[in-house]
Amino acid sequence: MSTVLDTSTAEVVEDKIGESMWSKAAYKFRRDRAGMIGLSVVAFYMLVALGVGVGLWGTEWSDNNGQKWEGVSSQYWFGTNILGQDIFERAIFSTKTAFEVGLVVAVISTLIGAFLGALSGFFSNTWIDEIILWLMGVLDSIPFYLFVAAIAFALSGFAYSMHVAMIATFWTTTSRLVRGEVIKLKNFEFVEAARAVGVPQHIIIVRHILPNTFHILLVQSTIVFVGAIKSEVILSFLGLGVKNGVSWGLMIAESTLEVQAGEFSNFYAASVLLFILVMAFNMFSDALQDALDPKKVST
Amino acid sequence: MRKILTGIPLILGVTLISFVLMVHFGPDKTYDLLGKNPTQEQITEVRHQLGYDQSFVVRYTKYLKELATMDFGYSDSSGEKVSSILVRTIPVSLALILPGFVLGNLLGVILALIAAYHRGHWIDKIIMGVSVMGMSVSFLIVIIAFQIIFSSSKGLDLFPVRGWDVYSFTDYIRYVTVPTLASIFVSLGYNTRFYRAVIVEEMGRDHVRTAKAFGAHPIELLFKSVLKNSMIPIITRIMFSIPLVVISGSLLLESYFGIPGVGKVTYDAIISGDQPILKAVIGLTAIMFVFTLIINDILYKVVDPRISLK
Repeated sequence: MSTVLDTSTAEVVEDKIGESMWSKAAYKFRRDRAGMIGLSVVAFYMLVALGVGVGLWGTEWSDNNGQKWEGVSSQYWFGTNILGQDIFERAIFSTKTAFEVGLVVAVISTLIGAFLGALSGFFSNTWIDEIILWLMGVLDSIPFYLFVAAIAFALSGFAYSMHVAMIATFWTTTSRLVRGEVIKLKNFEFVEAARAVGVPQHIIIVRHILPNTFHILLVQSTIVFVGAIKSEVILSFLGLGVKNGVSWGLMIAESTLEVQAGEFSNFYAASVLLFILVMAFNMFSDALQDALDPKKVST
Repeated sequence: MRKILTGIPLILGVTLISFVLMVHFGPDKTYDLLGKNPTQEQITEVRHQLGYDQSFVVRYTKYLKELATMDFGYSDSSGEKVSSILVRTIPVSLALILPGFVLGNLLGVILALIAAYHRGHWIDKIIMGVSVMGMSVSFLIVIIAFQIIFSSSKGLDLFPVRGWDVYSFTDYIRYVTVPTLASIFVSLGYNTRFYRAVIVEEMGRDHVRTAKAFGAHPIELLFKSVLKNSMIPIITRIMFSIPLVVISGSLLLESYFGIPGVGKVTYDAIISGDQPILKAVIGLTAIMFVFTLIINDILYKVVDPRISLK
């Protein structure tokens, strides 16, 4: 009985400290064990990626120091690949590639999705809305891999054609969600009040409406991040992905030859690292969703 | 009928964007078709044959005309008629994808029902946990792993590694099993999670509670009160994945298992710039999408008579 009382008072105190949606969400998120594990794993990967970015480790990813298919040793932690390259170094370097792809695609596609979604929601049932909806419908009906291949060719030689293609297709989901939320928001009193005071439309959208869609953008950008990392692997395998550097997708593509010869270390290294990151990100994203959206059905 | 009209801007948009990307900026085939040291006349002649010398608008309207008559001419690469290529490859893709698609969705619904019924219980937690794990594995990794496990001499060695020599039903089973297992494995996590969210929402409704209070049998409750009422999001999800599945097939499965389906053909066409094939596939995808939208609305009406088609 006393324990029950204790927890309830503890919750009351928490409620008093922070009453905004964000502090409540942060409180809820901190109590979500899976979400916290996910977040720490993602943070660790990010640290590794940053280290590669500033040149602390992973610098020898393209050197052919060893022999072909050396086993696991203190020098080569995961062995070497068909060219005698250190698989551990390559796997570490790929972390940076994955974060680069994920961040670029997630940030830009979320920005585009937020902007166009807010526009079409705010001006719903006008020609602006019609055009944006049409554009989303069109982009959604082009098969993804073919679209990427086409963009890769249209921008031939451009190292970021994969990023462009992913951004072009991934923003539509975000945009649809934002549009729905904005249609709901624009009838609220605070928007009406702003309009009554004579605030110009673009300032209403940027100041009053977009900040209120931020929770959607946050969750959606984590989902896009995961989607981008997973697509990168498949695109790199098809030869449409990363052009300079190495990625888990390229490592898996290499490993398809090695696997036939019974050498699995390249395959294991890339796929296990990829799996852990995506899994952690999914857990993080789920917990974020639970914390930010009280209506969402879960557990 | 009105739906078909509203579908026209969509078809125009898809064809226009893909046309600009794949045909206008696509690879130039002129020199592939010429011999060594071509003369200027030969070059202009080939360019004329391929239609490169016409303006963008002319080429695009010509394409729309081809789309309307469904006559796309002959492939630039093999000289085979485009329609016969499609007739040969689409059934292969369908046969490859369909079992995995159907089973993946069916199992997804069943698992979702079980999970939703035991919501919060350990059964639910296990199903959802495994779903998240399934979602986190890359399709590519699943394909490679399954191929090692089922088809290689290091694993069970039960099925052929790659290829598609299908002449009888047993051949079909032999070649389709591993790709099917891989695609079920990959789609199951997503499907289960999606369907569970839909079903859980439906289970919280008043009529379900009433039925429960009246002591309805769990199976009857799930199928009659819950599943029937959550059909609309389920149908939407299934229908909208159909056009992509049918036309682009599974490029990854086809290229990894060396299966001559339409996804592989299209991919090769993009790489080599085989425009007639590209035009046909893009156009058909767009048309399929519009038809899906229409059938989707009709199905809504069938499932829920309150929805009017207008």
